[in-house]
Amino acid sequence: MHSPLPILLLCLVSSWATAEIRELRWSELVPADAPPPAPPAAMHDLSQLADVLAAENGPAAAQQHPNAPVVQALDGLEVRLPGYIVPLEISEQERVVEFLLVPYFGACIHVPPPPSNQIVHATSEPGVKVEQLYQPFWIEGPLRVEPASSELAEAGYSMQAQRIFPYDLP
Amino acid sequence: MHLLRLALASLNNRRFTALLTVMAIALSVCLLLAVERIRTEARTSFASTISGTDLVVGARSGPVNLLLYSVFRIGNATNNIRWESFEHFANHPRVRWAIPLSLGDSHRGYRVLGTNLAYFEHYRYGRKQPLALAEGRPFATDPFEVVLGAEVAQRLNYRLGDSLVLAHGVARISLLQHDDKPFEVVGILQRTGTPVDRTLHISLAGMEALHADWRHGVPAQGAARLSAAQARELPLQPRQITAFLLGLDSRLATFGLQREINGYHSEPLQAVLPGVALQELWSLMGTAEQALLVISLFVVLIGLVGMLTAILTSLNERRREMAILRSVGARPWHIAGLLVAEALLLAVAGMLLGVALLYLAILGAQGPLQAHYGLYVPLRWPGQHEWRLLGAVLCAAVLMGGVPAWRAYRQSLVDGLSIRL
Repeated sequence: MHSPLPILLLCLVSSWATAEIRELRWSELVPADAPPPAPPAAMHDLSQLADVLAAENGPAAAQQHPNAPVVQALDGLEVRLPGYIVPLEISEQERVVEFLLVPYFGACIHVPPPPSNQIVHATSEPGVKVEQLYQPFWIEGPLRVEPASSELAEAGYSMQAQRIFPYDLP
Repeated sequence: MHLLRLALASLNNRRFTALLTVMAIALSVCLLLAVERIRTEARTSFASTISGTDLVVGARSGPVNLLLYSVFRIGNATNNIRWESFEHFANHPRVRWAIPLSLGDSHRGYRVLGTNLAYFEHYRYGRKQPLALAEGRPFATDPFEVVLGAEVAQRLNYRLGDSLVLAHGVARISLLQHDDKPFEVVGILQRTGTPVDRTLHISLAGMEALHADWRHGVPAQGAARLSAAQARELPLQPRQITAFLLGLDSRLATFGLQREINGYHSEPLQAVLPGVALQELWSLMGTAEQALLVISLFVVLIGLVGMLTAILTSLNERRREMAILRSVGARPWHIAGLLVAEALLLAVAGMLLGVALLYLAILGAQGPLQAHYGLYVPLRWPGQHEWRLLGAVLCAAVLMGGVPAWRAYRQSLVDGLSIRL
């Protein structure tokens, strides 16, 4: 019975002696006399084509009334309003401290986005912990109405929410 | 008081098993708290990375994906977007500021971000805090200037005026380097605790210059190769970027502009509200977090069951001890109380040791965690939630102690002073 060890050793030694491993650089994979690659094809900017085509289809689903009229009489009133929270700013404690309150969940893709008088921009100091975006909340506080004529701010509703609590079916 | 002293003395007599039990509880409590700590810190660091940005815009993929690669530098973009698209929306009447982001290169494992000066002016993190330079200045008109994040400068030990070579791709060790176009460090940002710390910022022109002589996916060879000086002469107008951030003049306009971008005809684009994408990310992570929490709770349970086993097996050996206690006037409820006190002592010792272990682990792992995962875990007192968890563990331990206590109570009633072993 022959021990396999000497044969194995022999193989190792011979392969070590004969094989000289050549270290390659990636550029060596390209033949030296390779013809230079053709210059890139001229780019035609067809991006405007889509606009032309789209014009035939009618206007895009833009926000219906970016500057929708507001009810001035509601200014300063203490109100309670149910809606869905779209987080804008989240504090380190994972609490939503600034959000938009909207009447339906998610940016529903089938219809245009809500007009500006259907959104309330709310801030809240302790913030609210939102586990699920599809959970509706009540928000309570004084409603502020920016008239459309105001130069600095957009027309629309805002609120410093005093109380925020989950909305339950009555 | 006497009961506690007796319990202590009795435990001291069996200190080896007691020590093992305490160790088991300590390790399990440490695991539970560590899972909780990392969960909250990861969320905090995600939440504090972006602030004041109304929309993040990139190629169409998914909201979470877009947010991860553009803001957190995790993963890669599906596609670039054209410069004209960026210009179109940067000049939109509702847009107050726009920050272009161009990603894809790296330097020793840290990502390189091509951007413009709007980044230093308008990017906000935490609670609307602006970026600040610790030293130096933002990059100027020369394309080969780089501003380092705090972590990059510290780890790689770079100072102002040093020159460094950027690499193609995002691997830690890169084989293809843009080594003919070194960048000079002109500024170092202050620490923010966000991915900004782990980023190298160059101008869009620099990004363009870096790739100016790349043809057909490889760097140009021989004579076609451009030197840095030649690259400077080129028109370095960026043709494409990876994503951009937008700030609007009114947050009420967010939905309208988001829809406009998503329906943009010239190029398929996607706009996401960072807050919404973050919330989605959290509800995704929530499942994994919950699984981890349940596992660590079970580990604690196993630790406590181990304690229960240790006490129960000791009961038989300790019948004589109980009988002696009875003979010197202890009532059966004294015996029961003794065992509950024992469980309480073991649990409290285990928890104390567990908390100590946790802080030791945080102290040891703080550096590597920040370097490799960008996760900053501060040494702070246990939060409300952690106290609640500890309280629950203690209650569970006392309840478990009730089982041997009840058995000892029964035994001591039956056995009295005569034990038939």
